Amino acid sequence: MGKVVGIDLGTTNSLVAYVRDGVPQVIRDASGDGLVPSVVSLGEDGTFFVGREAQRRLLTAPSRSVYSVKRFMGRGIDDVRDEVALLPFKVAGEAGGVVRIGLDDREFTPPEISAFVLRELRQRAEEHFREQGEFDFEVDRAVITVPAYFNDAQRTATRDAGRLAGLEVLRIVNEPTAASLAYGLDRRDRGIIAVYDLGGGTFDISILKVEDGVFQVLATNGDTHLGGDDIDRLLVELVLRELGGGSSRSGEDIQTIRKAVIAAKHDLTDGEETEIRVESLDYGRRITRGEFEQLIRPLVERTIQPVRQALADAGLEPSEVDEAVLVGGSTRVPLVRRIVSELFGRTPHSELNPDEVVALGAAVQADILISGRREMLLLDVTPLSLGIETMGGVVSKIILRNSTIPASGREMFTTGVDNQTAVDIHVLQGERELASDCRSLARFKLRGIPPMPAGLPRIEVRFQIDANGILSVAASELRTDIAQTIEVKPSYGLTDQEVERMLIESFEHAQADIDARLLIEARNEAETVINATEKTLRRPDFSEIASVDLQPGEPEKVQSALDALKLAMGSADRDAVRDLTHALNHATQHLAEVMMNRGVREALAGKNVKDV
Amino acid sequence: MTRDPIPAQAVSTLECRSCGAGAPVDEHFCPQCSRILALGRHGDYFSFLGLPRRLVIDQAQLERRFRDLSRQFHPDYFYNAAPAERLASLERSSYLNDAYRALRNPITRIEHLLAIEGLPSAKSEDPSAGSAAAKVPPGLLEEVFELNEQLDEIRESREAGGDPAVLRERLESARKPIDLKREEHEREVEALSAQWDRQATAAAAEKRATLDALRERLLERNYINNLLASIDREAQSLEPKAESRG
Repeated sequence: MGKVVGIDLGTTNSLVAYVRDGVPQVIRDASGDGLVPSVVSLGEDGTFFVGREAQRRLLTAPSRSVYSVKRFMGRGIDDVRDEVALLPFKVAGEAGGVVRIGLDDREFTPPEISAFVLRELRQRAEEHFREQGEFDFEVDRAVITVPAYFNDAQRTATRDAGRLAGLEVLRIVNEPTAASLAYGLDRRDRGIIAVYDLGGGTFDISILKVEDGVFQVLATNGDTHLGGDDIDRLLVELVLRELGGGSSRSGEDIQTIRKAVIAAKHDLTDGEETEIRVESLDYGRRITRGEFEQLIRPLVERTIQPVRQALADAGLEPSEVDEAVLVGGSTRVPLVRRIVSELFGRTPHSELNPDEVVALGAAVQADILISGRREMLLLDVTPLSLGIETMGGVVSKIILRNSTIPASGREMFTTGVDNQTAVDIHVLQGERELASDCRSLARFKLRGIPPMPAGLPRIEVRFQIDANGILSVAASELRTDIAQTIEVKPSYGLTDQEVERMLIESFEHAQADIDARLLIEARNEAETVINATEKTLRRPDFSEIASVDLQPGEPEKVQSALDALKLAMGSADRDAVRDLTHALNHATQHLAEVMMNRGVREALAGKNVKDV
Repeated sequence: MTRDPIPAQAVSTLECRSCGAGAPVDEHFCPQCSRILALGRHGDYFSFLGLPRRLVIDQAQLERRFRDLSRQFHPDYFYNAAPAERLASLERSSYLNDAYRALRNPITRIEHLLAIEGLPSAKSEDPSAGSAAAKVPPGLLEEVFELNEQLDEIRESREAGGDPAVLRERLESARKPIDLKREEHEREVEALSAQWDRQATAAAAEKRATLDALRERLLERNYINNLLASIDREAQSLEPKAESRG
C-alpha cells in the first residue's frame, strides 16, 4: 500500500499535505514554497507545464495557459457564459454540454486539466517521501477538498479528476470542514465555530458544533462563483475602462493587467495606497484602500446573505457563535475581515495560514481514514436539497439541505396507465420549487416493471448520499421484488471515457426538460443587448458618431435588427429570440467597436471579446 | 408519475452477513462475531436510538446517543473492512442521521410516531393526506373565511393603487388571529404530547384517541402554515421593489 495524502485543489493554488507522527504538514518544494499554482500550460512542443512555470507562461503564452479551471468543474457552458469574456484561453462546449477548454488544437474537460495539477502534487509528495528515505514512497490515495457548496456534478468532476491522476479518492471533504479539523487539533474541545472561507473562486460558510471530538456541521451555505478572481476582474475592468480602446485587447495584455492588479490588491492588504502599473501599456494609476474597498464592497457584501442563511438554518444567532475562523487567501483583504467581525461581533481567528489550513485538515482526515483513529469524527452535511420532479414540473424534496451525510431517502411510485412497464425519474438538486429552477443531476428510466393494472405496482426508489456528498440511486418493485439498480454516477468500474460520456449524457438529458428556463435565459440575454443598443442609439451625440464612424445605412440596419428582436421577445420561440439576439449582436459589432474605440466602454463591453 | 405513500415497515430479526448468526432487530453489532450488522428493514427511529417511544425527550440525551452511535457506525472507520461491512456502515450511518433529524424536531417526531403507530401520514405534501389537507379543517372555518375576505380586499386595493403602508397595517391585523391560533395550537400539541407520554400503560383505545387528536392537530397546523405563507406572499408584494439581487 502506498502513501495517503490530503490535497487542497484550489482555484488559484493547490497544496498537498500529510500527517507525520500525528502532526499534519504541508509538503514544500526546495525553496520552501507549499503552493502549486493551479495553472496548466501546453508548450509549443506538446509538453505540459504545471504550477509556477505554467503561471509564468500566463504572460508569454496566454492562449495556451489555463487558470481557475475549478470554476468550470462540473459545469455546463451555459453556466459560465458571462465570465469567459475576459479569459485569454478558449472556453467552448455545446449548448447544454460540459465546458471544454481549447489549448492549441486540442480540447480538454475541466477534470482533465485538474488532473494535471493533481499529478504535479502527487509527484511533489512522492519526491518528498523519496528524499525522506522512505522505501514505499508511492502516493496512490488522497483526500481531496471541495467547496462545501459544490453540487453533485462538481464533486463528481473532482473525483473524476483524482481518478484521471491515478489517485484513489478516499474522500471528498468540504474545505471549511477540513479547516475546522486543522483548527480543532489544538483548540477548545467544544463550542460553535463559524468557518468563513473566501478563496480564489468560491465562497463557503459553515457553522459547526464541536463536542467530544465530533465536528458536526450544522449548516452550510455559499456561492460557488464568488472569490478573489472576481475582485481581480473588477480591477482589470477598471484598468480597461481607463485605458480605453480596449475592444480587442490581446490575451497577453489582459494577463499583464491581471498580474499588475493582483500585485496592487496584495499591496493594499497592509498598505493604504499603492500603484497599479502596466509598463507595456504605458498605464499607471494610484489607488487608495478606500477606492479599492468602494469598488469591491458589493462583491464582499454578497457573502452576508449566505452567512445569515446558514445561521438561520442552524437555528443560531450570531452571538451564539463562539469562534469565527477565516480560511482562503481572499480573507486577507481588510474589508473582508471587517465585515466578518461585524457579522459575528468578534474578531475572527486567522492564526493558521489561510492558504494552508484546508490542506492540513485534508491530511488529518486522510489520517483518520487509514488509521481508524476514533478521537475525531467529521459529520458533514449536504449543501443542497435533493429531489425528484413530480407532476406539473414541481420538485418533491427527498433529502433536505443541511442533512447530515451519509443520508438516504425513499420515495414510492406507481404507474398511471394499465400495463405500464417503465417510469421516468428526473433527479434534481436545489432549493427552488420548480424543477426548471433546480440543477438537473440525472434523468433515468425505470424499466422492467411487470405489467399490472395502473396504480398497483409499488416501486421504491432509494437515494443514497454517501460521506462524499455524492448521490447514487437504486429502485425496486416491491410486489414482485424485482430490483432495478440504477447508479446515476457509479463509483467504480468505469473507464474514464464512460465517466465522460455519462457526464455529457446527463447534461444532454437535462437539456430536454429545461426549455422554459432556456427561454428565460435567452430573453435575459436579448434584453441586455437591447438595452445596450438602445442606450447607444439614444446618446445625444449619436448622429455625430454615426456620420463620422459608421457606414451609410448602418444605423438603419441596427435599428431594423433591434426592432426584429423586440418583436420576437413577445413570442415563446427561444430559437427566434436567440437567433435575432445573435443578429443584433452582429449588426452592432462594428458600432460596439466604434464606441469602445471612443473610450466609451459601457454596457456593450465584453460582447465583442466574447464573440471573437 | 404517481406517488404512493411509504408503507409501514415489516420488522423481523436480522441475520449477520459475516457469520450467519441471528440478532435482535435493535442490535447494531452481531452478538456472535461483533461485526456491524446490515440494517435490514428497520422502521422505528426510537428503538434504533435506544430511546423510549416518547414525545417529550431530553435533547442532550438524544445528541449524546447520536454522537455515540456515529462513532460506532461512521464509514470513516470501515475503510479497510469487508464490502458487506462497509455497506452496513453506510446504511446504519444514513439511518442514524435520518433518525436523529426526525426526532430532533418535535413535529417530525410526532409524524414519525404516527407512522410507526400505523396512522395515515399527516404530512401536507403527502398525497394520501392531500384530500384532508385541502379541505378546511372544521376548527378553522371561521378564521379562514375571515382571512380570505381580508386578503381579497387588500389585493384589490393594492391593484387599485392603495397606500401600501395602510395595507401593510391591515395585513398585520388580519394576521393576528391566525398567529393566535397557531400559538394555541402549539400549546395543544405540547399537551397532547405529554399526555401520550403518560399513557405508556393505558388501554389501546385511549392511546389511539391521543394519536388521532395529534394527527388532527398536525393537519390543522399544516393548514395554518399555508395561511401564514399566503399572508407572507401578500406582504411581499406590498414591499417596495428592492433592487434585484445580482
